[in-house]
Amino acid sequence: MAEPNIVEKVIALEGVELLRNLTPEQLARIGSIAREVRFPPGKLILEAGKAFDALYVIIEGSVELSRNGEMLYTAHLHDVLGAWALFDENDPMPVSAKTLEDTRLLRIGRDDFYDLLADNGEITAALFSTLVQRFRKLVEQP
Amino acid sequence: MNRVRALRRELFDIRPGEHLRTWFMFFYLLCVLFAYYVLKPVSRSMFLTKFNIDKLPSLYMLIAVFGGLFAYLYSKLAARSSLQTAVFWTLSVSVGSLVAMWMFIGLPWMVYVLNIWVSMFAIVLVSQGWLVASNLFDAREAKRLYPLLAMGMVLGAAFGGEFTNRTALLVGTRNLLLASAGMVVLAYVAVRLAILPAREKVSHARAAESGGDFSFRQMTSDIRRVRHLQVIVGLMMVMYLVDTLVEYQFQVTARQVYRGDQLTAFFGQFYGLYLNLTEFVFQLFLTAAVVKRFGVGGTLQISPAGVLLTSVATVMAPGVTSAGAVRLTEASTRYTLNRTGMELLYMPLPAVLRNRTKAFIDICVDRVSRGLGGFLLLLLTATFLHLGVKEIAMVTMALCIPWMYFSYLARKEYVSTIRKRFAARRLDFETVRVSVHDPATAGLLETTAAGDNPRQAAYALSLLAEAPEYDIRRLLRRLSADCAPEVCRKVYEIAAKLKWDGLVEGARGRPGGLAYLLAVSPERRDLARELLDDADPARAREAIEALREEADLVGELIAPEWLEENARSDDARRRALAATAIGIRGDEGTELLHRLLADPDPETAGAAVRAAGALRGRPYILGLINALGNARLRGDAIAALAAYGPSIAGSLADAMTDTALPARVRQQVPRVLKNIPDQRSVDVLLGRVDHADVSIRYSVLKALNRLRETAPHLCFDHASVMRQILNEALHYYELNAALEPFRDRRDGNYGASRLLALSIEERLKYTLERLFRLLGLRYPPKEIYSAYVAVARQHGDSATAALEFLDNVLERDLKRILLPLLDAPEHILDHGRELFGVEVRTAEEAVRELIRSGDPWLVSCAIAAAAELQFRSLAPEIALAAKEAAEEVGEVARSAEVALAA
Repeated sequence: MAEPNIVEKVIALEGVELLRNLTPEQLARIGSIAREVRFPPGKLILEAGKAFDALYVIIEGSVELSRNGEMLYTAHLHDVLGAWALFDENDPMPVSAKTLEDTRLLRIGRDDFYDLLADNGEITAALFSTLVQRFRKLVEQP
Repeated sequence: MNRVRALRRELFDIRPGEHLRTWFMFFYLLCVLFAYYVLKPVSRSMFLTKFNIDKLPSLYMLIAVFGGLFAYLYSKLAARSSLQTAVFWTLSVSVGSLVAMWMFIGLPWMVYVLNIWVSMFAIVLVSQGWLVASNLFDAREAKRLYPLLAMGMVLGAAFGGEFTNRTALLVGTRNLLLASAGMVVLAYVAVRLAILPAREKVSHARAAESGGDFSFRQMTSDIRRVRHLQVIVGLMMVMYLVDTLVEYQFQVTARQVYRGDQLTAFFGQFYGLYLNLTEFVFQLFLTAAVVKRFGVGGTLQISPAGVLLTSVATVMAPGVTSAGAVRLTEASTRYTLNRTGMELLYMPLPAVLRNRTKAFIDICVDRVSRGLGGFLLLLLTATFLHLGVKEIAMVTMALCIPWMYFSYLARKEYVSTIRKRFAARRLDFETVRVSVHDPATAGLLETTAAGDNPRQAAYALSLLAEAPEYDIRRLLRRLSADCAPEVCRKVYEIAAKLKWDGLVEGARGRPGGLAYLLAVSPERRDLARELLDDADPARAREAIEALREEADLVGELIAPEWLEENARSDDARRRALAATAIGIRGDEGTELLHRLLADPDPETAGAAVRAAGALRGRPYILGLINALGNARLRGDAIAALAAYGPSIAGSLADAMTDTALPARVRQQVPRVLKNIPDQRSVDVLLGRVDHADVSIRYSVLKALNRLRETAPHLCFDHASVMRQILNEALHYYELNAALEPFRDRRDGNYGASRLLALSIEERLKYTLERLFRLLGLRYPPKEIYSAYVAVARQHGDSATAALEFLDNVLERDLKRILLPLLDAPEHILDHGRELFGVEVRTAEEAVRELIRSGDPWLVSCAIAAAAELQFRSLAPEIALAAKEAAEEVGEVARSAEVALAA
């Protein structure tokens, strides 16, 4: 199957909670740095306890998330792995992620992401807005 | 068909959700005026039958006195009740009074009572009706709908007059009082139905706000305090003075020609037919269009201008024809244009103030002014002056001048009040400075400087260093003995600035000490040489930074060999040192700086960029422009290029259109120009304001907006700005038409076509922003920005006030094109068709146009949507894009080809 084109990447990225305040065109700029990666079944994508340097969006297949051998969740189409790893360089991942079948994902590397932010102030502002909303929601929770 | 639709919208632009309240308010005003035009001839005819005409001035005086008293009492009672209750009681008392007067009309003084009562009736009921309307409609709705409501009054007057004319002989004058009472009952039903949708709001609104504390003093205090109200009062006073004088001229000249029944017939024909017909035509075809085109101020100018012009005829040839023409002009414009204009004039006032004062002003000023008019007439005609119609016409003309002036003031106040509603307030923190002039402040700062918080201490030191008569040296000496690194650096920095060598001892090992020694020590030359050759690049850097202002010394200490050696070093810090040194001593014709500008290390390239900016050599311009594409160098590159000043404007203009340069570089060029406040920057930017690339166009506009703010003396070519506003408006209408076939796909479970709809919507938002940015070049930028924020966020009252502001400030041509975008979203397609011939196309045709649009993202979405919707007829366009478009668009096109072929 061919690498997804920019429109398909944007449709996939629309499901990412972190990017929900971005316009389609801003998502397209992020899509331009997203690369497709493919994994066979049973491949360990994330390892608990290790640092992580990218965000993944599933565009085909499924991935099992587990902690200490206990299965927590099965991620499917448009689910995101490692969203907050983009901002948190040092903390290790709390869960492991392993593919359950042939899986295609979009990978957005941290360095590319930061270069993109440096060139696109409005994307940075939109991300800040998402983070602030999330923070406010946490603070306002009883 | 389109013309008919446009005309209907022009005359009756009632939008969904407005019909009920609009038509019932229309009917209320129609009923009230119907009743009044029955009562007016009845009361006047009874008075003239019973008394001589010379008793009329005394009636005017009584009306003025009772009018004032009545206004006071009404306002006092109304202040205690809600608007809804006040309406109920006013209408109930009116019906009761009419029935009572019908029963006791035989009493000798009852005709006086009837005449005074009738004069109050119309004012109170009409004023109350408009007050209800002002609580039912916002300013924008009022502007569209008030002319229609005023037409209800005109029709009511016409029907009432005609009804009286046809029924007086049949049922008798006295019984018409009961007919009038019936119309008041109908008016009550109408107003109850009108307020149904907004019952909550109207029941909370006060008929005259301020609760039980209402007082005449408070009312006059409001008027003294609020200039807007003063203008309304002034305008009304002069208007009613003129009304009295004009009516007098008309009656005198009519009596010279007609007598008895002929006179009654003439008045009946004039008021019943000519005046009402004129008012009807004005209201149907003119008022809405005039208000829309000329705004409140312009609308209010028409009546005095008309009276002034027609009075010339009375002066030249006094007679019933000329005086009739003046009366027709004055009365017809007063009941149509002026009535609508005056009601709109109240709209920007806060609801509380408006509700508190409107009824009082309407009733009191009307009556008092007419009383004053009667007094003025007595003065002009019954005293030694004995002025005739011709001279009174001259007085009328003279009064038209202040009338026009008040109309002009009214427009100014109207706009100013609206402006205040949404004007943003900003605190410029840069201007907030602490001045140290007194010993107490100096003592406080000394304590802070010696305190535990290094940041505060350093700030306190910087303030004390700027204090004009404060000797800081003693404090510096004390602090240098033992201080935190941040404070230490500040201590030595201040001492270096003062060129004071009192801290030389022990400075070498302290933070900031080397820079200080390089500034004041007698051995500074040797020290600098030693540091430049130090193995630690940080020390060499400290030396160079300390000698930044001493180019000669640096030139003497740094040889070309030193530069060459460091520029070729493997250590990036050494290369950065070389770049910094070149910036101070000059490049002396070497190529080193070109190489350093292209250095892969950001610190070195940044130092090279700053050096190029300091040298301002033309050979470095291209290198600096290229550096704009690197996010890490951009800030320095912008500052370096801006340092060249206006002479670089031409090169930057070329760069913006040079397609060989990456788009991300060209986008940054306007950011340089905005830092060069010169006419050449403005001209270059205005020349690119229609750039094909939307992102560059946006950057250009942002830069122009900044220049307009920082350098308001610069000239922003009106024609270019206007042309681009039209271009952007056309673009908006086209995008909106393209969105139409996809509007229902925004929220559905669609892929590419939903994305296309969302992207077009996004483009519409950006286009609107660009339009406002362009307006900011033509009109006060801060207010336009505030208006944009209010409109973009759709904040109820603020958005309404913003639209009203734009309606009053924009030129007519702009208003015609821009306001429909903001004010009538449901009619945008119609406006696009009428203004620019933009038609809504089928989804397939819309996609075809978007593929050809040249906007890479929209083209991508459109191609993907074409594939999703299986628009096979677009295959040729898609194939062309697959071959010729940029990489990402090409990929989408190739995917679409595969999908369409499947």
